[in-house]
Amino acid sequence: MTESPITARAFFERVRAGQLTALKCGSCGELAIPPRQLCPACHTQAWQPLDLRGEGTIASFTIIRVAPRAHAGDAPYALAVVKLREGVSILGRLVDIPLDKVGVGLPVRFRPLVIGNQATVGFGPSSAA
Amino acid sequence: MRRVAVIGVGVTKFGLHDRTSAELFAEAAQDALTDAAIPATAIQALYYGNVVGGETEHQLHTGPQAASVLGIPSVPTTRFETACASSHAAFRHAVMEIAAGVSDVVLVGGAERVLNVSTAESTEYFAYASDAVWEQPLGLTFPGVFALIARAHMEKYGTTEAQMAAVAVKNHRHGALNPKAQFQKQITIDQVLRSAYVADPLKLFDCCPFSDGGAALVLASEEVARRHRKPVWVLGSAAASDWMLLGDKRDLSRVPATERAAAAAYRQSGLGPRDVDVVELHDCFTIAEIVATEGLGLFEPGAGGRAAEAGRTSLGGEIPVNPSGGLKAKGHPIGATGAAQIAEIVTQIRGEAGPRQVDGAKTGLTHTLGGNTATVLVSLFGRD
Ligand SMILES: [Zn+2]
Repeated sequence: MTESPITARAFFERVRAGQLTALKCGSCGELAIPPRQLCPACHTQAWQPLDLRGEGTIASFTIIRVAPRAHAGDAPYALAVVKLREGVSILGRLVDIPLDKVGVGLPVRFRPLVIGNQATVGFGPSSAA
Repeated sequence: MRRVAVIGVGVTKFGLHDRTSAELFAEAAQDALTDAAIPATAIQALYYGNVVGGETEHQLHTGPQAASVLGIPSVPTTRFETACASSHAAFRHAVMEIAAGVSDVVLVGGAERVLNVSTAESTEYFAYASDAVWEQPLGLTFPGVFALIARAHMEKYGTTEAQMAAVAVKNHRHGALNPKAQFQKQITIDQVLRSAYVADPLKLFDCCPFSDGGAALVLASEEVARRHRKPVWVLGSAAASDWMLLGDKRDLSRVPATERAAAAAYRQSGLGPRDVDVVELHDCFTIAEIVATEGLGLFEPGAGGRAAEAGRTSLGGEIPVNPSGGLKAKGHPIGATGAAQIAEIVTQIRGEAGPRQVDGAKTGLTHTLGGNTATVLVSLFGRD
């Protein structure tokens, strides 16, 4: 075994196809966002891909008003750390949620987002909302 | 392990300069050598911090570049890059080289030049300290990282924007006493609260500026240091790391690397937070100071905002934090910051800080944080 079973390239190919993927340790059950060579909990390599449901809640957020050059046309935009139902967290761009409605604890749902031809992690309104 | 002392310090004025980072470092280094009363020929190694030289100056290999411009081209030199903590990391390795008996006199320094490029460009380059595949493509900025930390802290502890503003007001009040500071004017809570949002809840006046500047330190073994005036002893120096991705950090309201580095540095020195008289810590954003005062054990988790608002961290308060003005008012030339913080603490312990002197300061602490909180260094200093 030489590489993480989900490489960065594979992760974002899956994102583009509408699927968020985690790694689950076959030895101890630890979850991780790939790529990860060794399990940080038990330090073995026994990862299995795990399809995430893509549902979670906002753990923290910000509204970027002064953006890097490549994103200046998008500003202002909201970024959030989202705690997914399975327990792992990931940073994503919020889409189709009014900026004044964003708050900690708000339920959101993963959606693929292409920024400048690059697949990235987006989160939109939860279907339940 | 041998004892190590700081015997010379030098810092340029921070702000806009029309010189290269190597020139800024060289000015600070000459001042540090003069302060140490030691000739350049005594230097056996240079440990150097520089972060975005490749981007802003098209300059890599900045270690030998800096040594050449100073005029000591033949000493072994290494450039350290741990984002904003680079020259504090350089310092720690220089301490280890002397403690291990490899060298007796080592020069530590750092410099940065960013004001020769636009704010949009430097905003982009500073974001390179976050993950290039997972986070940069989302449009994450440096203020954005600390805005996420601020929101989590507000949510968990009820920290307010006014408490964060109190940090900016305090550090500007201190900076007005520091002739090397980029900003030497006082500001009001209202000015901070009315400034424009950069990354909610952080506003322009919650953020440190972009700065050019250099800093240098002469470190020596005990045998060499004993021949010099007022050596300031390194009582402990520790580094810690944490996850790169924001999503992997378990609790955004805390900085575990600060807690780990502080625990190690306190253990090395046999001191605790109650023993520290003066602190220079990493206030790249006002919330960063609040979280750092908690992580260093100066206040309980969640109590940092109220402590700042109550003046407990002001000059004249129970534990003065950032008497230099901090990154907020003194400025933040990222490669120079760690060395400059150490220079301030050495100056304070010598009792030579003039109008910003903390009365009777015998023991001081420096804390420098890299980028997205994935690197932290903490060092402790004292006198005989
Ligand atoms: Zn495991």
